[in-house]
Amino acid sequence: MTYTDAVSDGFPALDGEKPILELRGLQKRFPGTHALKGIDLKLRRGEIHAIVGENGAGKSTLIKVLTGAYLKSAGSILWDGEEVSLSAPQDALNIGINAVHQEVVLCPHMTVSANIFLGIEEQRFALLKKKKMAQRAQEVLDDLGFRIDAEAQLNSLTIGQQQLVATARAAIRGTKLLILDEPTGYLTRSETDQLFALIRRLHKQGVTIIYISHRMEEIFELADSVSVLRDGELVASRAVRETTPQQLIHDMVARSIDEVHYKERIELGETLLAVEGLCGPGFDNVSLSVRRGEIVGIYGLIGAGRSEFVECVYGRHKKTAGMISMCGRPVDIKSEADAIGNGIVLLPESRRDQGLCLNLDVGFNLALPVFRKLSSFGLVNKHKEIAVADRQIEDLYISTDGRLALASTLSGGNQQKIVIGKWLNHGAQIYIFDEPTVGIDVATKQQIYKIISVLLKGGAGVLMISSYLPEVYDLSDTLHVFRSGRLVGSFGPREVEHETILGLAISASNEKDQG
Amino acid sequence: MPKNAAITEKSANRPRLGFLRGLTLLGLVLVLWVGLTMATDSFMTSPNISNLMRQTSLWAIIAVGQTFVVITAGIDLSVGAVVGLASTVVSLLLKAGYPIWAAVSLTMLIGPVVGSFHAFGILKMGLPPFIMTLATMTGLRGFGLLLTDGLTIAGLPDAFVDFSRDSFLGIPMLAWMVVIVAVPAYILLNHSRWGRYIFAVGSNSEAARLSGISIPKTIYLVYITSASCAAFAGILTASRISIGVATTGEAWELQSIAAAVIGGASLFGAVGSVPGPLLGSLLLTTISNGANLLNINPFWQRIITGMLIILIVWLDQMRRKKR
Repeated sequence: MTYTDAVSDGFPALDGEKPILELRGLQKRFPGTHALKGIDLKLRRGEIHAIVGENGAGKSTLIKVLTGAYLKSAGSILWDGEEVSLSAPQDALNIGINAVHQEVVLCPHMTVSANIFLGIEEQRFALLKKKKMAQRAQEVLDDLGFRIDAEAQLNSLTIGQQQLVATARAAIRGTKLLILDEPTGYLTRSETDQLFALIRRLHKQGVTIIYISHRMEEIFELADSVSVLRDGELVASRAVRETTPQQLIHDMVARSIDEVHYKERIELGETLLAVEGLCGPGFDNVSLSVRRGEIVGIYGLIGAGRSEFVECVYGRHKKTAGMISMCGRPVDIKSEADAIGNGIVLLPESRRDQGLCLNLDVGFNLALPVFRKLSSFGLVNKHKEIAVADRQIEDLYISTDGRLALASTLSGGNQQKIVIGKWLNHGAQIYIFDEPTVGIDVATKQQIYKIISVLLKGGAGVLMISSYLPEVYDLSDTLHVFRSGRLVGSFGPREVEHETILGLAISASNEKDQG
Repeated sequence: MPKNAAITEKSANRPRLGFLRGLTLLGLVLVLWVGLTMATDSFMTSPNISNLMRQTSLWAIIAVGQTFVVITAGIDLSVGAVVGLASTVVSLLLKAGYPIWAAVSLTMLIGPVVGSFHAFGILKMGLPPFIMTLATMTGLRGFGLLLTDGLTIAGLPDAFVDFSRDSFLGIPMLAWMVVIVAVPAYILLNHSRWGRYIFAVGSNSEAARLSGISIPKTIYLVYITSASCAAFAGILTASRISIGVATTGEAWELQSIAAAVIGGASLFGAVGSVPGPLLGSLLLTTISNGANLLNINPFWQRIITGMLIILIVWLDQMRRKKR
């Protein structure tokens, strides 16, 4: 393995001191995915240790294992030199590990103070000391400079404020290790400053902090050392003062599986979909077009507005300005049905929630959009239904026990093939793929790219959203980069380096001041 | 200091939704009472008011327990059946010669036993609360019929029967029983750690779990509370009608859910209070009592009650959305 030298050489010396937390060969497997492939990591007492990595690199999984929310599959976790099991959240809380999760995990119907003290309520004679808790919560919030009312109901606060409450909550729990998972995602600049002040204060008090972020400037502002996760492996650990953003970005994206990205040269035809000056909730003034035989990639970090953009094209959200046309004719898309009627189909990011009826069989899912075609006088023709299902199972090599197997029993890759197959049955001109290969193994990925090639050769166009840079980078004929709801750059195939694109998507400039 | 100013302003503006709803319901009940007093001679009479309070009491006790379950986003369809079972069990024990205190105590065991069974089915067998309690709703009713062979058990001791007819300080004993249930329930829900956990599980069970809260214990707690309230109401019902019948309390589960929901509980969980179902039961009883006195066709009563549930919950939804 090529990265071992980076780990040993660049790692900040522990000077013989005992690490507060040590991971040895930590692994986590899910059905179909190997999320953490043997993580070795040592945390110095009292340091701020940043962890960076692309979406899906395994950062959130690592946090969930450390907080007892997920059970590790293999390896060991040493706390203060002693092995701990962390089999339930209580185990992590008991030894002083607290986390602030990327998505706020609090109770929206309860007050700020009730959330702060949830699970550690102060009481006398089994009665809550409500006033005292509210008072203390308010003191803590005021002291931290958060302008939040301790007796307000949590769901009356903005997401950013809720995130601050989550942090304050972790801060008063006798924390020894505080894990912050992309805490600034929803914060305004001034909220971020308040949060950083809190982190620095805890740091001074000797709390060890794991800080997960993809924002380089935050890491260089706060952290002492930084580790890079890639595809579930820890590929580098460095002292922050001895590294550069460029080096970290390089660590994050360097890949070995480029050959997976199967791409055929296809002659581009006329323009199918054209979007001009489209504005809507979460994005602003986006213009782009898709031609026959073309893959148009959209890259951006989560929250950059790419999903909002395609959802608007697909009729889920109303546009506020701009125009969409298909084959040169302006079209009015007010609903998903309008989009499908105009030949635009969406293969959603979450196959399980949005793409499939999981507890129904494969054949049903494949026929779902075409039941009208398969029916006469309202009755479904069983023979036709079987025929369309079997054809796709064969054409797409869907590995299943047959048409009658439940969709939930298939692997992620084969589920994705069902989603593709159901739209092949229906027929479409523009296929929008939102994260087409998330959670799919390498072999199936390649099959999916080949299916996409077949679509393109048939004269369709593809709009592909991905958080996985190498994928959109290698496959796209045109690659658009989104940041903060705007299209900030467009590139031809391999026109610029990975680093340029990632840098453009991450770039700190004025991103937060808009909030 | 601007910081504190912002905070106080926000606190003052924060509408106490539960309090507002309580006032609205209370207003509605009072309007009905004034209307009925003027429309009939018999409404505002001591026997009628006592009768009204007694009937309210039985539903209110069940509805309080139901509310606990509803706050965790669950539902307990078995409470009517538990009322029937408890009324037959206590009657059988009394007929068998057990002293009242022993018969009542033994019957009260139905609460923890049935409630634990519900929690076990939900947690360990993975059954949805609706299905689990639908099953016991049928099953426990059958059990009561089996115990009595479908017969009515009459001839209960006078002391037992008189209890529900007595008053203390001019207020029927049954209404005092509501106080005995509601006050601890209020303290448990609003002033104890466990109350917080009940809301937390209904609001976001993952957040509760990550805070180190035991979800199983909380689920056991609410289903035992609900079944215990129903068992208690069953004993009081036997006293009130002075017989034990296995079919007592039929459709009371629906009354209790209606009372909880009218009182502001949300079937999606995390919203509910103790005064809510008390007022809800009072409203439902007032409607049925008033309709009787006004000689309104009882079939109309059902239609009116149904429409009222839709109206009140719809108004509540509108108010919530505005926020």
